[in-house]
Amino acid sequence: MNFSLIGALQILFKILIFPGLLFVVVIGLFLAGIDRKLVARMQKRVGPPLRQPWFDFLKLLGKETIVPHAANKAVYLAAPVIGFTGLVVMALFIPVFGYSTFSGNGDLIVLLYLLTIPAVALIIGGSASGSPYAGIGISREMVTMMSYELPLIIILLSVARKVGGSALCFSLGQIVNWQASNGCLAFHPALIPAMLAMLLVIPAEVGTQPFDVAEAETEICEGPLIEYSGAPLAVFKLNTAMKMFIMTALFTNLFFGGVSTASLIGAGIPAIALDAVIMVLICIVVTFLSMSLIHAITARFKIEHLFKFYWTVVAGLAALSLVLVWFGL
Amino acid sequence: MLKNAIAKSMMRSPWIYHINTGSCNGCDIELVAVLTPRYDAERFGFKLAGTPRHADIVVISGPVTSQSKDRLIRTLAQVPEPKCVVTLGSCPQSGNVFKGSYSVEAPVENFVHVDVAIAGCTVKPEAVIAGLYKAAEILEKKREAMNK
Repeated sequence: MNFSLIGALQILFKILIFPGLLFVVVIGLFLAGIDRKLVARMQKRVGPPLRQPWFDFLKLLGKETIVPHAANKAVYLAAPVIGFTGLVVMALFIPVFGYSTFSGNGDLIVLLYLLTIPAVALIIGGSASGSPYAGIGISREMVTMMSYELPLIIILLSVARKVGGSALCFSLGQIVNWQASNGCLAFHPALIPAMLAMLLVIPAEVGTQPFDVAEAETEICEGPLIEYSGAPLAVFKLNTAMKMFIMTALFTNLFFGGVSTASLIGAGIPAIALDAVIMVLICIVVTFLSMSLIHAITARFKIEHLFKFYWTVVAGLAALSLVLVWFGL
Repeated sequence: MLKNAIAKSMMRSPWIYHINTGSCNGCDIELVAVLTPRYDAERFGFKLAGTPRHADIVVISGPVTSQSKDRLIRTLAQVPEPKCVVTLGSCPQSGNVFKGSYSVEAPVENFVHVDVAIAGCTVKPEAVIAGLYKAAEILEKKREAMNK
C-alpha cells in the first residue's frame, strides 16, 4: 500500500513536474523569449524582455473568451487542450539523455505520430471556428505538414539504420546509449546532411517566420487562430512555445545524445539535473541556428515554394544521408 | 495573486490592431515607424496583431468616412474586453482639412469611446509611443476594475 502510494506520487511527479508539464512549459516559454530577443538583437533592436512570453500568456488568460456564432463551441474550445495534452505526452517520451519516463522499442515511431497532434489540433480548431480565413489557413497547414513529414521520416530512418544496423533501431533510449559509447551522431560524416535537414524541419514544425505560411498574419490574419481570443489563444501560444522545446530536445537527443554526465559523476539526481542544464544549453544553440537566424534574414515563403523546398532540398539532404548510411559509412 | 499578475502583464504585452478609416497613409507610416529598429516599440511588448480578436489596443487613423463608419463600429465590437481605443493624428479628432465634407463623419468621439487621442498631422513617432504607453496603463486599470 505504502509502496504503491510512493510509486503513484513518483509517476505524478514525472507527468506534472520534471520531464512533463512544468519543465516543458517553463523551458518552452524561456526558449520563446530567447528567440524573440535574439531576432531583435540581430535587427539592431533592444527587443522585448526575456519574460515577454510569460506576459503574453498571462495577459491572454485575462482577456474575454469570445466564441463566434458560426463556431462549434465544444470542438472550438477542446482543440487547444488536445494539442496541449499531445505535447505533454510527447515530453514524457523525450529522454533527458540517459533518463526517460517511457522508453521502449518503438518510441521514435510513437513520437512521429504524436508530433502530428498539435498540428491536427490547430486544423480542428480552425475548422470549428467557421471563418473563411481559417479555411485557407487549414489547407496551408495541411500542406506544411505533408512537406516536413517526408524529410523527417527519412532523417529518422537514417538515424535508425546507423544505430541499429540492418535491424533498424527505433528506440530513442538506445540511440542515446549508442552515442554515449560511439560518439555523437553529429560527428559521423554520413549523418551531417541529415542533421542539416533536421535543422530545417524544426522551424516548419514550430511554424516560425519563413515557414509560417499557415498563420501569415499580414495576408490571412493569423489563419486558423483568427477567431481565437482569451484563454484558448493563450494555450495555442503556449503550444507553439512547447513545440519549440520539444523539437530542439528531439534534435539534441538524436544528434548530440552522447554528452551525458552520468558516466563522469555517477548516475543519480545531480547527474540528471546537470544533463537537463546541458540539454537546455544545446537547445538554445539549436533555437538560434534553426529558428532565430533564419527568421531574422528571410521573408515568408509561398505555400507552393515551401512544398517544393521541402520535397527537393530538405528531403534530398536527408536522402543523401540515408544512402550513405545504407552503404555503411 | 494570479489576478494581480494578469493585471500587471496587461500593461506589459499590449497587442495593437490598426484600422484605417480613410487616412492619407501618413499616420499609418508613422505607426509602422514606431515598430522599426529606430524606435522599437517591441521593447515594451507592443506587437501588431493580425485580427481584432487578438487586439488589446485599437488604433484608428483617418477622418472616418461614411463608408467606413459601420465597419469601424463592427470591428470594435469584435475586440475582447478589456480593450483600449487610441486615435492617431488630427483627422479622427476633428476631421482636420476634410472637415465639413459630405462624406466625413469626423469627430470619432460621437460614436466610439476614445481612451487616448494622439494629436499631430502627421503624428510624431515619439508621441505615438507615449500615447500607446498611456493606453497600456489604462488597460491595466481596466483589468484591475474587472477584478473587483
